[in-house]
Amino acid sequence: MRVVIFSWEYPPRIVGKLASYVKELAWQLTQTGIETFLVTYHEYLTGEFENGGVKVYRVTNPVKTHISVLTWVLTLNQEVERVAANIYYKSGKQIDLIDVQDWHFIPAAVTLKKAFEIPFIYSVESLEDHRSHEANSPFNMAIKSIEWLGTYEANAVVVKSDWMANEVIRAYKVPEAKVKVVNPEAKHWLESILKVYNELKGRCSYG
Amino acid sequence: MSLKDVVVMVDQLRVMMLTWEFPPRVIGGISPHVYYLSKNLAKEGVKVYVVTCDFPGTPDHEIVDGAEVFRIDSYKNPSPDFASWVYLMNMNMQKEAAAIVKSLGGVDIFHAHDWLVANAGIGLKHVFRRPLLATIHSTEIGRRNGLHSDYERMIHETEAWLTYEAWRVICCSNYMVSHVKWAFNLPEDKLVMIPNGVDVKEYERSTVDLNQFRRRFALPEEKIVLYVGRLVYEKGIQVLISAIPKILEKVNAKFVIVGNGYMKEPLWEKVKHMGLAHKVLFTGFVDDETLRNLQKCADVSVVPSLFEPFGIVALEAMAAKSPVVVSDTGGLSELVEHDLTGVKVYPDNPDSLAWGITRVLLDEAYANKLRENAYRMVVEKYNWEKISRQTKSVYERVLSEYSRTFWA
Repeated sequence: MRVVIFSWEYPPRIVGKLASYVKELAWQLTQTGIETFLVTYHEYLTGEFENGGVKVYRVTNPVKTHISVLTWVLTLNQEVERVAANIYYKSGKQIDLIDVQDWHFIPAAVTLKKAFEIPFIYSVESLEDHRSHEANSPFNMAIKSIEWLGTYEANAVVVKSDWMANEVIRAYKVPEAKVKVVNPEAKHWLESILKVYNELKGRCSYG
Repeated sequence: MSLKDVVVMVDQLRVMMLTWEFPPRVIGGISPHVYYLSKNLAKEGVKVYVVTCDFPGTPDHEIVDGAEVFRIDSYKNPSPDFASWVYLMNMNMQKEAAAIVKSLGGVDIFHAHDWLVANAGIGLKHVFRRPLLATIHSTEIGRRNGLHSDYERMIHETEAWLTYEAWRVICCSNYMVSHVKWAFNLPEDKLVMIPNGVDVKEYERSTVDLNQFRRRFALPEEKIVLYVGRLVYEKGIQVLISAIPKILEKVNAKFVIVGNGYMKEPLWEKVKHMGLAHKVLFTGFVDDETLRNLQKCADVSVVPSLFEPFGIVALEAMAAKSPVVVSDTGGLSELVEHDLTGVKVYPDNPDSLAWGITRVLLDEAYANKLRENAYRMVVEKYNWEKISRQTKSVYERVLSEYSRTFWA
């Protein structure tokens, strides 16, 4: 199985808790024999790297000056697409699954799904509703609309707790069956992840 | 010649145009430009797909004069500002265009118009590994006369990114070629000049009696001096207003000002203060037909711009057989040959402008000579058939170069 993970943080770039989780996830996946690619951002450490069997691709933003994290994310997505497309073409047009960590690279995952029918998982770390304490300015609503797009287009939404499952269902009216709870603290979390991956592998259902 | 070259030439060339406006959605000059270009490329045998923003009352998918038009969800959620809306709209445009390209079984080339569709064009290029062409109609650094905020710098850098990712960059005048080369540090051989066009047939259809029509705007003994454009500083409308007393010393005329802008109120106050309220008519926006009839009635059309990438208004006046007086700047310098197809005057100089206008108004034989020469030049040089053939040959050149790359 060939999996591509999108994450806006991965060591040495650490913003919050997501970086260490994504590092552990990618490494564990390679240990089970999954060919794992990781596409992430760094301001200047760009290019291809190998980290314990994980193939890491770091891209930078082609537009340096920005007015918000929203515009910053939206011009960065094309670089994520470019690298993901390179992986796709180099590997004989076979990517089984994309796992998007948080909202930042949802636009790229959606375009790749439309273009190549690659299924994707939206792994929720946090929601704009909680980060911005229910603020409803156009800025917050724009980020929420991207999170919604993720829940709508993803083949599965993976969350880390039952509480978050309820929150995702409440905030974006996601069908319950689409939401999978995988607690990273639990003993068999990797098996749970692999179960979700195997269910979705190569399956892209529209609509 | 390889087999691949032959295949490219034999198969119908498929281009996907990306544009944020297409009729009936008309905001600026890109909408008519893409409409005429697409229509005439289709006549040249190119398969044209236009992907554009949706518009109330229009279908999501239709054929418009030979071009297949797809209208996508243009992101109607509230956005913090215009640029954020543009990027969000691009997110939607790109995902929908990706689905369209997949359903079509591919296209040969993507053609993006301005930074407003940069993200979508660049993403599609990499996802489908097909060449991207960009037409730069205008630049942020030119519009704002410099970059004064992060917002403006962000747009400027997005324009730079588009020109960086584009295989070729098309500009509509030699002036714009130089300007874009300077603004984004581009190599000379990346730039192509293909002029803008005008469809003279639009001016041949006559639905009204022009003598009757004229009376709505001027007395029979008054000559009509016409200005068409936004009422903003860089268009130089204030220069024309300052020139009016000098013109009226020599010839009886009515000044018809079409368009809106932030200078409308101050200019109207100035006109009243000058005691010229009876000689100047501000019409605001007018519909296309009224505009064309006005251009046909005008004894002279004035384009006094201080900054002008191309100067489509001068071209339209020429197509309407109205003599033109333009300031010698930007694209206007190239459009007009002094004393042959129009009169050029010094920019930002009311005396020079007054001289040019009175010269045309007082010498009918001279004015008629300008009309005829300019009309002939428009038909020969700025017709959409020719422009489309030039564009098609750029597509073919790019595809031939592309066929020798590892993407092909």
